[in-house]
Formats: sequence, structure tokens, C-alpha cells
Amino acid sequence: MPEVEKDISKVKSPLTCLIVDDSAFMRFHLRRMMDSFDNIIASEAANGNEAIREYGRLKPDIVLMDIVMPGLEGVETVKRICDQDPKAKVIMISSVSYQEKVAEAMSAGAKWFIPKPVTTAELRRAIENVLSPTTDINRGELV
Amino acid sequence: MRLDFVKIFLDSTAVLFRELIGPGVDAPSISMKPSPVAGRDVIAIIGLAGEAHGRVIFDMDMFTAVQLAGHMLGEPSPGMTPLVRSSIAELASMAIGRAISQINDGGMRLRMSPPTVITGANMVSYDQCFETLVAPFATAYGEVRVNITIQDLD
Repeated sequence: MPEVEKDISKVKSPLTCLIVDDSAFMRFHLRRMMDSFDNIIASEAANGNEAIREYGRLKPDIVLMDIVMPGLEGVETVKRICDQDPKAKVIMISSVSYQEKVAEAMSAGAKWFIPKPVTTAELRRAIENVLSPTTDINRGELV
Repeated sequence: MRLDFVKIFLDSTAVLFRELIGPGVDAPSISMKPSPVAGRDVIAIIGLAGEAHGRVIFDMDMFTAVQLAGHMLGEPSPGMTPLVRSSIAELASMAIGRAISQINDGGMRLRMSPPTVITGANMVSYDQCFETLVAPFATAYGEVRVNITIQDLD
């Protein structure tokens, strides 16, 4: 079993994840990947404003965030979420992945960046790195 | 026409199609047309702005769109559902987003709009006529034409 999946499955109770993408296809695709990890409960937002609202309501352990979205785009959404909660753990997933945009996303508070198309292995690795045992996620404490 | 950018768009599309659809994607023979050739049932449009401007239009038959989406989704689709439309939009978005990343890493500044997908029979474009580079990609599910117009700002 891959190490990441093993670590995720050791978490005491399910981790929560908010998937933010205007594309129904990407939300479907990412949700299916998250479901394959067994111990993660995913919810969805289709735009930046909805993401900020849902983040405040759900306080998810992880956020998967697109960049190019109509209205409030991903980097600004990350900035607002991180202003609200500096400990937010946001993984950017975008086809727009030039160096300046990646740096902009990381400056806004993102913890990881995956270029699309994302694979299950890349997503596992990102989650493992973002949810390292040294973090203080309430339910994410490894047994 | 910025042919240097066109090459990046086409290379990016070919690589992405091969990654997502499979190795049987043929490299296109390209041609220049006085305006986009996009009259098939399903079209995905992405606007380009920044230090150059233009648009990329993907067009394909309904059958091809449904089959491509089914492949991407990992399950067959009963027809042109919202999820199929979204899959085609994402296919176009990933191809162009990747190309824009490469162009921007080379020092230019280009932005893309979120993709718009339009479906319908016998669609005719009454848009302004811009010289367009047309590249037909042969996939296992049928042909996808990519129409690219990109020019420097005057």
C-alpha cells in the first residue's frame, strides 16, 4: 500500500476536504480520487465566493483550489481564506502553472501546487505533505 | 498571427490529448483560413488576453464529444449531459492553460478566459473574420478541430 494512503488511513477520524472548481468535471474527478483514500469526506464549491462561505462554515482540513474561475478567481480566494484562517491548508490544482502564478498562489497562502491533469499519486503526495504529523489539525493527529 | 504561440498551443494540445485520450492521436496537418472553421455540434471557446489577444475554438461532433467525455470520466455517458459539457470545457482549458503557462514562463503575459461550451446543430459563426489557423486532431473517437487566432496588440 502506498505510504500516503497508509498515513491517511491512520488518521483517527475522517479528514474533511473542500473541493473548489468551477468545472463540474473536475469536482467529479477530484471527489472520486478523494473517495479512493477511504478516510476523507469531501464537499464542493463551484466558485470563490461559495468557497469562502463554505470554508467558514465547514472549516475543512484541506482545500483543493482551482485558479481560473469566473468571478472571484482562485488566488484571491486563497488570500481571503488565509486572512480568515492563517492555518488553512490549501492545495492549488490548476492548468495555469507558470512560475509567477505559482509564486503568487504560495504568497497568498497556498501550501502546495499541482498542475492539471492531476493524478491520484500526485494528490496523495500533496495531501501527505500538507498534512504532516507536525501540523495541529484537530482530527488529523496521527495515531 | 503569432505562429510561435500557435506552435505552443498545438504542441500542448497534442501532448494533453495523448495523456488523457491515449496514444492514438495523430499530429495535425494545419491550414490557414480567413475565419474560424467551427460549425460542428459542440464548440468550446477560450478567449486570450494580455500582451496578445485572440481565441482558441475547439469543435467536434456530438458523438466525439460524448465519447471523449466518457473516456475522461471513466464511464460511458448517455448523451450530452452537463457533465459531458464540463468535461469538454476542461479538456480545452487544460490544453490552453498549459500552453499559456509555457508562454508566460518565456516572458510574455497572456491570460485565458474560463471556457465556454456551446452545443447545437448547424452552428454558423458570424464573428469578425480573423485569419485563423485550423488544426484537425484525429483521435480514437473522431476529429477535434482546433481553431487558433492570436495577434499582438496593435
